[in-house]
Amino acid sequence: MAELVQQLINGVSVGAMYALIAIGYTLVYGVLRFINFAHSDVFMAGAYAGLHVGQRMGGGSWAGGLVAMLAAMAACAGLGIVIERLAYKPLRERSKLTVLITAIGVSMLLQNLGQLVFGATPVAFPETLPATTFTAGGVVVSSKDMVVVGFTVALLGALEFVVLRTKVGTAMRAVAHNHQAAALMGIPTNRIISVTFGLGSALAAAAGFLWAYKFPRVDPYLGVMPGLTAFVAAVLGGIGNITGAALGGLLLGVIETLVKGSRWSTWTEAVTFVLLILVLLFRPAGLLGRAQAEKV
Amino acid sequence: MSALLQLDHVTIRFGGLTAVSEVSLDVRPGDLAGLIGPNGAGKTTVFNLMTGVYQPTSGAITFDGRPTAGRRPFELTRSGMARTFQNIRLFRSLSVEDNVRAAMQVHRTQGPFQSWWRGAGFRRAEAEVADQAAELLSIFQLEGHRHELATSLSYGDQRRLEIVRALATRPRLLLLDEPAAGMNPTEKVELARLIRAIRDRFQIAILLVEHDMQLVMDLCERIHVLDHGVKIASGTPEEIRRNPEVIQAYLGEEHSLPA
Amino acid sequence: MKDAGARRWWVAAMAVAALLGWLEPRLDIYLADVLARVGINVVLAVSLNLINGHAGQFSLGHAGFMGVGAYAAAAITVLAGPHVLPTSCPDWLHQGWFLLALAGGGAAAALAGLLVGAPSLRLKGDYLAIVTLGFGQIIGVIVRNMEPLGGALGLSGIPPRTNLFWVLAAAATTVYGVTTLVNSTHGRGFIATHDDEVAAEAMGLDTTRYKIVAFVTGAFFAGVAGGLWGHFKLTISPKEFDFNRSIEIVVMVIVGGMGRTAGVMAAATVLTLLPEGLRLVAGLSPSLKWVGESRPLLYALMLIALMLLRPQGLFAWSRARPRPA
Repeated sequence: MAELVQQLINGVSVGAMYALIAIGYTLVYGVLRFINFAHSDVFMAGAYAGLHVGQRMGGGSWAGGLVAMLAAMAACAGLGIVIERLAYKPLRERSKLTVLITAIGVSMLLQNLGQLVFGATPVAFPETLPATTFTAGGVVVSSKDMVVVGFTVALLGALEFVVLRTKVGTAMRAVAHNHQAAALMGIPTNRIISVTFGLGSALAAAAGFLWAYKFPRVDPYLGVMPGLTAFVAAVLGGIGNITGAALGGLLLGVIETLVKGSRWSTWTEAVTFVLLILVLLFRPAGLLGRAQAEKV
Repeated sequence: MSALLQLDHVTIRFGGLTAVSEVSLDVRPGDLAGLIGPNGAGKTTVFNLMTGVYQPTSGAITFDGRPTAGRRPFELTRSGMARTFQNIRLFRSLSVEDNVRAAMQVHRTQGPFQSWWRGAGFRRAEAEVADQAAELLSIFQLEGHRHELATSLSYGDQRRLEIVRALATRPRLLLLDEPAAGMNPTEKVELARLIRAIRDRFQIAILLVEHDMQLVMDLCERIHVLDHGVKIASGTPEEIRRNPEVIQAYLGEEHSLPA
Repeated sequence: MKDAGARRWWVAAMAVAALLGWLEPRLDIYLADVLARVGINVVLAVSLNLINGHAGQFSLGHAGFMGVGAYAAAAITVLAGPHVLPTSCPDWLHQGWFLLALAGGGAAAALAGLLVGAPSLRLKGDYLAIVTLGFGQIIGVIVRNMEPLGGALGLSGIPPRTNLFWVLAAAATTVYGVTTLVNSTHGRGFIATHDDEVAAEAMGLDTTRYKIVAFVTGAFFAGVAGGLWGHFKLTISPKEFDFNRSIEIVVMVIVGGMGRTAGVMAAATVLTLLPEGLRLVAGLSPSLKWVGESRPLLYALMLIALMLLRPQGLFAWSRARPRPA
């Protein structure tokens, strides 16, 4: 029983990070209708940025850790905006496939640049935030998990505020709903798309930072697996839907952790995808997505 | 004569909105019929119900005595109902001829293995298709363009090609969705002549959905009028012209009825 | 390609394959090796082009089908072979058994294609891409969990049966199969489905069936390519058939130009030779060593540049499609 609770806590904390990444996929899909394959590598960049700033901050203090995370988020927001401007914006009117392939190219580029800049060997991530463990009723809880979940909840709250309560958020929703109409209403769509990339990338960076804090090892391919799972989470929840992405991330984090802790641990990755396929077969637009019939 | 296509108290709701309510009408073999109504009357929705794109919320649609419910659009086409599209939807990367040939596949049983083997039967069938396509294209004076991409044709020719492609499926009922959209008066006269010629030559029933009153009045022998999702009248052009409800519906839309 | 012409072309290509197969022992080992890779990649790219290019179904799991074929074919020669054929039997029997293994690999992959495609082909665009991507990952997990197939370590001891004759024969057959399928009244259904699914349905075309035929045929040839690959490398592991391999094949199709078999063949050839060329350049002098080291980086940059500058593909020379008979 205690073990199960422990697994659940662990799963929720992994799921929280998936949720943060998945929201980036979903935000971008919402405004541009394509899968930003490079998103997982922005996550990786976030972990490295956190690593380097964290080392400079000395580490182990709340203020230092927070600064490192915010710095990583800012840096990656910039990175996301630059990627969008250079690689995706010129393709705005092109076929979705062209953009998808470009995104795959950008992803490969970031991984290889990462290798060039940071080296191919994994490095240890410093204790950027204080960490302790405490025991309650036989369950060992790491403060790391609580930090991860706490930060995620705070970030999701901030995101919800931005999307629902601010002018920029309203504009984002308008652009997601209908590009042309939004442009005709005087919304600067290009700027809004940049903001969307910035927001999504910042969340990915926060997730990267938290991921490296929980699993303190960083390498240039760090983003591949969490990115893929988070992407599945976004689709599972209904791509384009922020709540769906968060729900999908949480769900996959918990299920994945439970399978990993069981006898079938070697089947973990298959479980994720089988789940996705099953959901898509019965709800082709994902759990919270709404199917759209083509107009004739 | 029994009906070829019959709508029996057909209703469809989208969420809370009743787009089409209790519509009953029929099309008989060889009919040249029109479905008209002001903008937003539900014409296109009825069209999509007939062709199986939508399934009715209640009521029944039968084609050739068989209910259409649960049959996919391609199955309806195979049973003898073909259509065109309001906004032209030709196969853009196929040539004019191949657009027609693709539609002719309907009544053939060639599969991938015949394509690979390329035996005598396959070649005979392909030659037959090519001949039939050429014949159809020449009837509609499109044979000169047969190797061009369908999308490189002029607008009028593209509209004509859509009709040819639909005829290639050898329908008994041809449904035309706003065939006169975007045409000038001269082209409309030409279109009316063409539609009549098709009915006479191929001996099929034709139903057109149109908001151009003039065209429908000149061309059709039987007319059904929709307004706000409800059928308000059916009859000959003469009867429709005199129907007070129809006049009311159209006057509300600043249309005057052609004399 | 005319009907009779298509078959004549295939016979000619088979003759060339036989000739090169006969010449192989006299060829430079490195050259023969590169040629075999080119041929296998042509099979992969041309078969994916049927799915992605002609039928317009975006698959990101082609390497998964290749993996199914590789393992199934290897199982036939490595696991079943010794029980059926004694080592002392004549070579032509071993070759015949290999042909059977290749067909078996293709059939297994085709079956996998049917299992994946039948339920998921009604999903559109991105969703189909994700399901096929997921399929590729699942195949990897399954193989890793199969002890008789060597698990994560891989399966070794596969007999070296792949030679230039088999590779080129497979390439010729794939090109023939895809081209004849597309250039028939039946096959035009693929392109019609790709162009406009709603209109295709309205013209009486069973779009689902077309998608499945394209998907299963493409998977079959990917499986054959997998069989060739296994008997060429002699050791296979699940990692070789992962997402990255699928992407490599997708890139060949994109670079060649979607739906253009000749362009895709050219792209498969050039992209297989490219790393070899870069390796050659890097070996010229120590000051050029960086070329070899930054190969993946150059590859990524090239891909992005290509999409920005020439998204229709490098080898898409003209807009017109090859005219059918």
